[in-house]
Amino acid sequence: MKTKSHFAFFDEGSKKEIRRSILKAIAIPGYQVPFASREMPIARGWGTGGLQITLSIIGKNDVLKVIDQGADESVNAVSIKKLVQSTTGVELVERTQEASIIQSRHRIPEVPLTPEQILVLQVPEPEPLRRVEKSAYKTKILHSENDYSGAWLMLFEQIMKYGRTATGADHPVYVNNRYVMAPSPIPRYDNPKMHQSEALILLGAGREKKIYAIPPYTDVESLAFDDYPFAVETFTGKSCHLCGAEDVFLDELVDPATNETIYQCNDTSYCIERLNKKEEVEVETSHA
Amino acid sequence: MAIDHVHDLQFVYKKILDSMSRPGKIASLQTLAGRNDYNLQMLDATLLTIMTLLDREVTFHVLMDNGQNLPEKISEYTLATHTTIDKADFVIVLKGTPETAITNAMAQCKKGSLIDPHASATWIIESAFSDVHEGELMLTGPGIKDQTKLQTALTPAVWQARNVCVAEYPLGIDLMLTDEGLQVVCIPRTTKVDMMEVE
Repeated sequence: MKTKSHFAFFDEGSKKEIRRSILKAIAIPGYQVPFASREMPIARGWGTGGLQITLSIIGKNDVLKVIDQGADESVNAVSIKKLVQSTTGVELVERTQEASIIQSRHRIPEVPLTPEQILVLQVPEPEPLRRVEKSAYKTKILHSENDYSGAWLMLFEQIMKYGRTATGADHPVYVNNRYVMAPSPIPRYDNPKMHQSEALILLGAGREKKIYAIPPYTDVESLAFDDYPFAVETFTGKSCHLCGAEDVFLDELVDPATNETIYQCNDTSYCIERLNKKEEVEVETSHA
Repeated sequence: MAIDHVHDLQFVYKKILDSMSRPGKIASLQTLAGRNDYNLQMLDATLLTIMTLLDREVTFHVLMDNGQNLPEKISEYTLATHTTIDKADFVIVLKGTPETAITNAMAQCKKGSLIDPHASATWIIESAFSDVHEGELMLTGPGIKDQTKLQTALTPAVWQARNVCVAEYPLGIDLMLTDEGLQVVCIPRTTKVDMMEVE
């Protein structure tokens, strides 16, 4: 016999606690609010923070999209989607424009988000100062004293070593001119999308038991020096080998047949939508 | 029809969430009109907000008890503990509470610490408000594109006391106003509230 689970998996007490933490997180943008991270049916470190936020805010009429590294169909995204859908019955979509809640790991979709949408990001390490200070209590003190020399030093050392800031992802940001925050491991390409975003952005770290947020229309500035300004990944001269898109975040792949380097849109739903449009045009013109 | 503690309270939360992330945006709970079958002397919007946010893990303080044993009843329904103003996680201000009581309590309530700024009081205040008229309050800050205007029945002294509470950001208090028309509007500590000259 399969017992029916409670709506959105959680008991109401768990939802209330997470909901209160989210409100505090919005009231103090970029500040990591501790919360009692629940035991989830997926392992910690696999998106339990994002999942707990999604389950606490979702209602019957919500439309959910889950992506993992830009893909709608990777294992992590699919299992999270299935869990939420089986406990809530909400509609699942892949088109970014149709979703009311978008849970994502490591990407912000290419299509600009709207005020009606909420972006939930999964965070493995919420503490931008963890690499310079092991103690959680000490990093809390550093945050309270607005002492972010550790984060600046990290970037400075990269410049000394590599001649530029070399953060692959998770480039730290200043939120509302007060807290330095880990934007989750999104590429630098996505950092500017957080600045004055139309949509509410909620970030959840299940293993580290932290929730934080960026309200809409909030200043989010990537850390950079005057002489080494912040720069996003560039793909000049490269385009998606499937849809031909140029101004998007591209994945670098090796064509197994020719051994050549090829590029492909990282945001799969964006790529498919472009391909479908192309197809439509082709059908219309060749069969007209 | 009674309040559905799963779906109705999710609806209320989503409205509060939207208003908290967009300060000054008025959220209507009108679709839940008539669901309140609790015999508590408070506005429906206040009750729904309390039911959404309070449980046994938090404490609250009712600023001026209206003689209806409200603190006991709220405790019975939500399992939250009634405590003194300096310890309360939620401060509930009923309609008709005098200005001095509010301003005194604002000076005493929890504002968090620099290490734990989230350990602060959230105020649920019954007060008329609207964004229809030429607002007396000018709101700016995170969550607000340019600016928002708001008119409330709270006196300038109350807003001054609130502004003092949030002067040392990230310390501060977050406000939720509830009115007779089943509406809620939130003003978190990040919002800069300027009082405009009334002509």
